[in-house]
Amino acid sequence: MATDKTNLQLVTNGILNENPIFRLVLSMCPAVGISTTVMNGFMLGIAVLFVQVFSSCTIAIFKDKIHPRIRIPTYTLTIATWVTVIDMVLAAYLPEAYAKMGIFIKLIVAFAIITMRLEMFAGKESVTASFWDGIGMGLGFMFGMMALGFVRELLGLGTVLGYDVLGFKPLLFFILPFAGFFCVGLMMGFFNYIEARYRRAKRA
Amino acid sequence: MKDIATIIFRLTISCLLAGLVMGTAFVLTNKAKLHNAEEREHKVMLGLLGYSATKPAPEFLVLHPVHRYIVTSGETSAIGYLVPVKGANEAEYAFVEIGLDGAFQGQQPVKLAAEQAGEAGPRDAAIAAALGTGKALRYADQTIVVTENGKRRAYLLPGEFPGFKTFIGVILALDPAFTVLGLEIMEHEEDPGLGGEIVQGYFKNQFQGKTFAALKKLGVVKTPLPEEYRRVLEPGKNGEAISPEEIAKIQAQYQDKDIYALTGATISSRSVTNGVKAIANKFAYRLAILDRVLAEQHIAVPF
Amino acid sequence: MKTILMTRRVLLAAMLCLLVPALAWAGNLISGQRFGADNEIVVTFSEPLAPAVAGEAANYSVHEEADPDIRLAVAEVALSEDGRTATLKFAEPLNTVKTHVVSMAGAGAAETFRVSKSYLGYLLGILVSALLINNFVFTKYLGLCVFFGTSKRKDTAKGMGITFTIVMVASAIMSWFFYQFILKPFDLNFLQIVIFIGLVSLTVQAVDTVLRKVNPALFNAFGVYLVLVIANCVILAVPLILADNEYNFFETVMLALGAGGGFMLALYLMSSVRERMELANVPRAFKGVPIAFIVAGQFALAFLGFSGLNIF
Repeated sequence: MATDKTNLQLVTNGILNENPIFRLVLSMCPAVGISTTVMNGFMLGIAVLFVQVFSSCTIAIFKDKIHPRIRIPTYTLTIATWVTVIDMVLAAYLPEAYAKMGIFIKLIVAFAIITMRLEMFAGKESVTASFWDGIGMGLGFMFGMMALGFVRELLGLGTVLGYDVLGFKPLLFFILPFAGFFCVGLMMGFFNYIEARYRRAKRA
Repeated sequence: MKDIATIIFRLTISCLLAGLVMGTAFVLTNKAKLHNAEEREHKVMLGLLGYSATKPAPEFLVLHPVHRYIVTSGETSAIGYLVPVKGANEAEYAFVEIGLDGAFQGQQPVKLAAEQAGEAGPRDAAIAAALGTGKALRYADQTIVVTENGKRRAYLLPGEFPGFKTFIGVILALDPAFTVLGLEIMEHEEDPGLGGEIVQGYFKNQFQGKTFAALKKLGVVKTPLPEEYRRVLEPGKNGEAISPEEIAKIQAQYQDKDIYALTGATISSRSVTNGVKAIANKFAYRLAILDRVLAEQHIAVPF
Repeated sequence: MKTILMTRRVLLAAMLCLLVPALAWAGNLISGQRFGADNEIVVTFSEPLAPAVAGEAANYSVHEEADPDIRLAVAEVALSEDGRTATLKFAEPLNTVKTHVVSMAGAGAAETFRVSKSYLGYLLGILVSALLINNFVFTKYLGLCVFFGTSKRKDTAKGMGITFTIVMVASAIMSWFFYQFILKPFDLNFLQIVIFIGLVSLTVQAVDTVLRKVNPALFNAFGVYLVLVIANCVILAVPLILADNEYNFFETVMLALGAGGGFMLALYLMSSVRERMELANVPRAFKGVPIAFIVAGQFALAFLGFSGLNIF
């Protein structure tokens, strides 16, 4: 079975229609936990992108060799391997960013989104399609994280990417740890509202 | 049955492949990791002494690490210092044992290459070999003595103490009279926006310039940080220029004041203050003993 | 019901094990020692001592276990009237987290003893910390996917909570053994992630198989949640934390119990609210997950109040 979507559609699908954070509501832990700045979101996004693309490609290459009964353990092993690799690389070359991310890099293993994409897509499709799907999902996660980080950083610290843009701190509340819940909830509701408006306008 | 055999076979193959990938990555990154961590620490240390990329450290500035151990043999314990020794050979160290009452107990020469002294494994092994059997070693901490042209310039003290959430790791820089030159937070897990603000200049720079006498009595006050002081603590933050005279004036004015606590993070502020006090106090006490012993025994150290 | 009884029995057994080391502390002359106020150590003797012996500050020497060369100055000693209790007052507040070593001269041979916070209290502290202060859901933001997925009904919440706690404790203990006896001695720490996730899958599979054979009724009730346990990052976070902090066996069990119990507590609280919220008039755009997030945020805010809580 091959997908009938073009590569571009595969990428945009991951970013918009099936955005891991706002649409599929998967991998919420980092979205709440460390989305305090745009940079954090970007770094974790890169890590997830790497793991997703490499795992997808690995599985797509070896899909005929994987025994159906040990499918899930093999997927887990693949993901865990790539997570270990990115974990070591980040710890070696970007120690400061790594320290901020803390335990969340290692916990990419337990992200439902990656296993789900392997099960639903890479296990059936060609290597190229899986590659682009992985890129789309990774970017979707990254953009979701960066959007959250943008809102929280701007409202909480008055900065974007560390540069002072507002010159004052509008709502310190948003940078505090628990505000992640509020921020995700409010943004999700906001996107739902926009979508409902858009649909109604289309129908009329 | 055949099914199980293929499953096991393929699982073994995939495990081997995974192990190969991870092992390669480990071998490739581990060295870089240690190297980068060391480099970062070195940069922070030079930063505490006032040097940066635009103002590089002079060549005659040398950092001498002194490692402290606790030596136990049977019931009694002693403190051991691994100090570099001036000699014909560059890479020579001596392990000086000092009793708990401050009396000199003995010294052994330790053969150790300079780059190995920074690594825990080879260093411990070399000291244990020099000491002989029957004595147990426990690594305690290290101090870096900074010399400029052979004269003492500063002490760098890495340390760790409990914060509000978990441990806070710092490096404290003192000048030869134990006045604080600077404080850098190396690692912490305090809450962002609250206790996490200890890394900000307006908190950690408050320690700068505190004399040893002031440090001993240092407390934490909950009043808000005065605006003029904040401007001095974070120079150039909002693009405002302050003249050096004004900085000196304001710094002198606040020199004997207590530490202004962070809003909503009094416990974090207090633990940093107490931790810094404890590090400086213990160091001053130990250094006096070590210096006396080194002078009495005529151990030629390069600092 | 049976599971709850079983859990309770396991808990009791664990408590008993913990009491044993606490009882093993017993000196000859010194019958008790503890920290008093933040600059005090209180020592009790098994027989009355003269004020010249036990009441003299010079007879005591106190230091922290890690710093044997730095003596803490005893400012004064207050001996009770019956000569059995001495209160050592120090010039500066003590760091009660650390173990202090006290040597006492004057009464025949010198007596040396250690003063530390009660170990049982420390263990309970780990439990309470994982349960409330550092609740994995509301203050560490872990396990949220499963949390939002299974907190719609109270029944689901209970089932998930109990299943999760059992698997959590079992896999944490296994991870501890693997970490202490294989990963650490052979310097294989970079394999942590693979080993821990493998152990979790293994535990889930084992519980699945055993439950299916031993108690099919229970399996029907809880089997569906077993699959979800793997997708919960708390179950992986606990082994990573215990490896990071070098916890011993009892501390590991306490952390795992606290993590599981905390997850169950969070699920139960959340499901109670969500059951009622279905009747509420929520704006259409916020129905379902968005409003659940906002409620969780309020819980997180409330749990922030536990921080700094120090019972033991």
